[in-house]
Amino acid sequence: MKGTNLGEFEELVLLIVLILQEEAYVLRIKDEVLAQIKRSVAMGALHSTLSRLEKKGFLGSEMSGATQERGGRRKRIYQLTGSGKEILKEANEQRQMLWNQIPDYALKFA
Amino acid sequence: MPAQNSGPSSFSLKLIRWLCRTELAEEIEGNLIEYHIQNSRSAVRFPALRYWFELLNYLRPSTLKKLKISKFEIMFNFNPLFTIRSLFKQGASSVINIMGFSMGLVCVLFLYFHIKSEMSYDNFHEDKDIIYRTLRVGMNDATPDRIGVTSGPFAPALQTDFPSSITATTRAMPADALVTIGERKFIEDNIVLADSNFFSFFSYPLLSGTADKVLDGTNKVVLTNETARRYFGDEDPIGKIINVDNSADFIVTGIMGDPPAKSHLEFSMVLNINLMTLDRWWNNGLFTYVKIPTPQEAAYVDGQLDEFMQKYFGEDFAAFGVSLSLTLEPLNELYFNNETSFDFVRHGDINTIYILGAVGLAILLIACFNYVNLSIAQSFKRAKEIAVRKVLGGHRTRLIFQFLGESITILLFATVLAFVFSLVLLPLFNSFFGLDIAINWGDSNLILFATILFGSTLLIAGLYPALLLSSFHPLKVLKGGKFSSGKNVVVRKSLVIAQFFISIFMIAATLLISRQMNFVQDKDLGFDKEAIVMLDINNNEIRQNLEAFKNSFADDPDMISVTATGGEPGGFHDATTMEVPGQADNHQLRIGWGDEDYFETFGIEIIHGRSFAQGLESDQDQTAVVNEMAMKNMGLTPEEVLGQNVTIPSWNLNLRIIGVSKNYNFTSLKEQMEPLIFVNGLRHRRVAIKLNAANLASAMTSVQEKWERFSPAYPMQYEFLDASIEQLYENEVKQGRVFSAFTAISILLACMGVFGLATYTARQRQKELGIRKVLGATAQQIIGLLSKEFLLLIVIASALAIPVTWYFMNQWLTDFVYKINIFSNWPLFLASGLAVGLVAFLTIGFKTWRAAVSNPTESIRYE
Repeated sequence: MKGTNLGEFEELVLLIVLILQEEAYVLRIKDEVLAQIKRSVAMGALHSTLSRLEKKGFLGSEMSGATQERGGRRKRIYQLTGSGKEILKEANEQRQMLWNQIPDYALKFA
Repeated sequence: MPAQNSGPSSFSLKLIRWLCRTELAEEIEGNLIEYHIQNSRSAVRFPALRYWFELLNYLRPSTLKKLKISKFEIMFNFNPLFTIRSLFKQGASSVINIMGFSMGLVCVLFLYFHIKSEMSYDNFHEDKDIIYRTLRVGMNDATPDRIGVTSGPFAPALQTDFPSSITATTRAMPADALVTIGERKFIEDNIVLADSNFFSFFSYPLLSGTADKVLDGTNKVVLTNETARRYFGDEDPIGKIINVDNSADFIVTGIMGDPPAKSHLEFSMVLNINLMTLDRWWNNGLFTYVKIPTPQEAAYVDGQLDEFMQKYFGEDFAAFGVSLSLTLEPLNELYFNNETSFDFVRHGDINTIYILGAVGLAILLIACFNYVNLSIAQSFKRAKEIAVRKVLGGHRTRLIFQFLGESITILLFATVLAFVFSLVLLPLFNSFFGLDIAINWGDSNLILFATILFGSTLLIAGLYPALLLSSFHPLKVLKGGKFSSGKNVVVRKSLVIAQFFISIFMIAATLLISRQMNFVQDKDLGFDKEAIVMLDINNNEIRQNLEAFKNSFADDPDMISVTATGGEPGGFHDATTMEVPGQADNHQLRIGWGDEDYFETFGIEIIHGRSFAQGLESDQDQTAVVNEMAMKNMGLTPEEVLGQNVTIPSWNLNLRIIGVSKNYNFTSLKEQMEPLIFVNGLRHRRVAIKLNAANLASAMTSVQEKWERFSPAYPMQYEFLDASIEQLYENEVKQGRVFSAFTAISILLACMGVFGLATYTARQRQKELGIRKVLGATAQQIIGLLSKEFLLLIVIASALAIPVTWYFMNQWLTDFVYKINIFSNWPLFLASGLAVGLVAFLTIGFKTWRAAVSNPTESIRYE
């Protein structure tokens, strides 16, 4: 399948889903994105990113946890699949590898 | 539970359930509800806006339900292309349709802005609903005569007599004066003298100064922004000094900005009214405004006003034999009440607005009818296309939408064109009709109006063709059988009749209006109006030198006669009461003033007795000339009336009648001729000079020179008598112009429609015509055949239009006392029918000629 690459925003979303664990549903992710990386995303936009990641096979989801706050509606909790975790690790390793090759002085006067 | 109360609107959630995929709806709704509550807790700004932003952001391809598209629908996906292609293919009729619609839309758009600005007069005053103007009502004849001006004591007396009902009063007096600033002089026609509470009573915006302080002294003046700029350029005008009428200096204390809408009072500056002595009840010349908080109280006050008048005028009424009452005129109605006399404020004419509105709609309707007609005519050409679409599974509703879509495309083109046209044509339109329409694209209701206009045009023009086209039975069409079209022919013909009806109506109305206006202009008014120039005696210099000024013309061959007068024909003649000794009844009549040259200058014939004599001191303020009508009212013979003494109590005059003049129309021809007394007195307002018409230009130069010799400080203000008389009919002339212009447009549009139809008919009957020619028909016969149908429609349209025009024009003519006889003008009606017939015939003929002369082998060769 074409496009199994991870976009920059997609990578961030995967990381946040991992951090949030059981609380990883759209509204919480939106708040977390805003709080941690100061980006304001609409829930609709987040939803399409999440379903794209689902389609790529990096995320799975299931409905659970109806609360009073949500007018009795359940929420969709996202979880990383095996390949999701793998690609995150892979991305991290690639970065590390590239970081390691940078000469010390190159970043000194940034 | 607070969360429950602050939940999002159920409509928004319904929207989600309705538009988003079922499996996602629950989650999305949940998120939105939670988001809403979260917002309401943390008190963010614009929570509703944020909520809707999130909601709308959820509507995207990944969440929306998939459209259920039948597999046949694909053929409709090419509709836009199809529409554009057919627009190009039917070049002529597309142009007719688009041009027609855009012309109609331009007319309606202009009228929208015009009517809106007319309706917005005085609507910016905060207290507009509780402000009333007091009008005096004279019972001169059977019809009450409403008089705009009142005198100074009214306002304080009203305030004292109705302390609980009337919360505030103010007075405003129009005036003109010479303003001097240093070396520069300006004649200002639009000065208002007003009470110091003027700016707090009304809501004219002040750019500087406070409403209750700006006029609290007789040495203060408020300028409008425009005037201030004219006087002082970019300098700060506050504190500057201006001199008025060479007599007093005023200090500028306030600047008034442009009011948000127009107002019945137009002025360039406001002075304090206490400059004038205002204690005389009969010294009328200002407007009195009152504020009464509720309509009930206003009705109560209105009921008490007769008593009020009796209280202050009772003795005078008894002495003069007159009676006046007082009434309240709401500010909201003031602008369109243009029947009030002695009313120097700005008025509009509601009839002109009705006429303009009706004409604009008529033009748009003609355009719609054209569209319907051409669509029906072409429907047969498209029958096959429709049948195929239906056979392939196209639904009727879907087809209706297809045809409406085509109408929308055409209308969109037309709308874009209309906006372009309106920008280009606006200045032309304004100057031609003497209007000052401004197009305000930021108008708050414009979008709404445009949408309604677009929608209703679409319904009128597009709905019938869409329903008709989509109703074709595919089987019948494809089998090639003749499908019944009887009903459509009726619809089509009645639309053509309606178009011709409108055109004939407009032509006949235009002809009658211009006939009436010519009649008014050419009617023998009983006096000369050619080559008479009138100068305003607007200052003391000229007033004191009047005799010398007059005499200076004596040796000039270009000046035929000079008179000083207060009552030139077409000008102001006050109403008054005359007593004749030995007669119990008083006589109501009008009064004018003039010197010994008056009757000669205006060429008014004296039929008995003599005119005022020169140099006879005993004549001044002692003698008078009455017109025939006044003599008849007195019931005296010419012999008896000469030397008769009469008194006019309200002017304190004892007069001897020395002559009788012919009746002449000293007011507009819309008014009945009235009895008149002309007094040899010194209340002169103007000098009228009869010039040698052959040397008008040089004569005017020497008048100007003489004026400058006698009144160097003041600019000369003059007016020609014929021009000022024409102004009496300004409204009618304007209506005539509107009609003639829109007549041209409506005929053009109707002919475009007929042209399109003729084109279609000729093409459809091509084969038939070819066969007829082969069998020996001549070109003339064929043209006759094709034209007959249309000419019949014109005859029917004429038969319908003539009585309707007759009725409406009779109504219009009731405004005039002197009018043309509509019955004896019957050839005009015939002519308008014939004119439409001729234009239509030429239009059709142009098209049918080609069909008639074409080689029959061309048309019948293909099968």
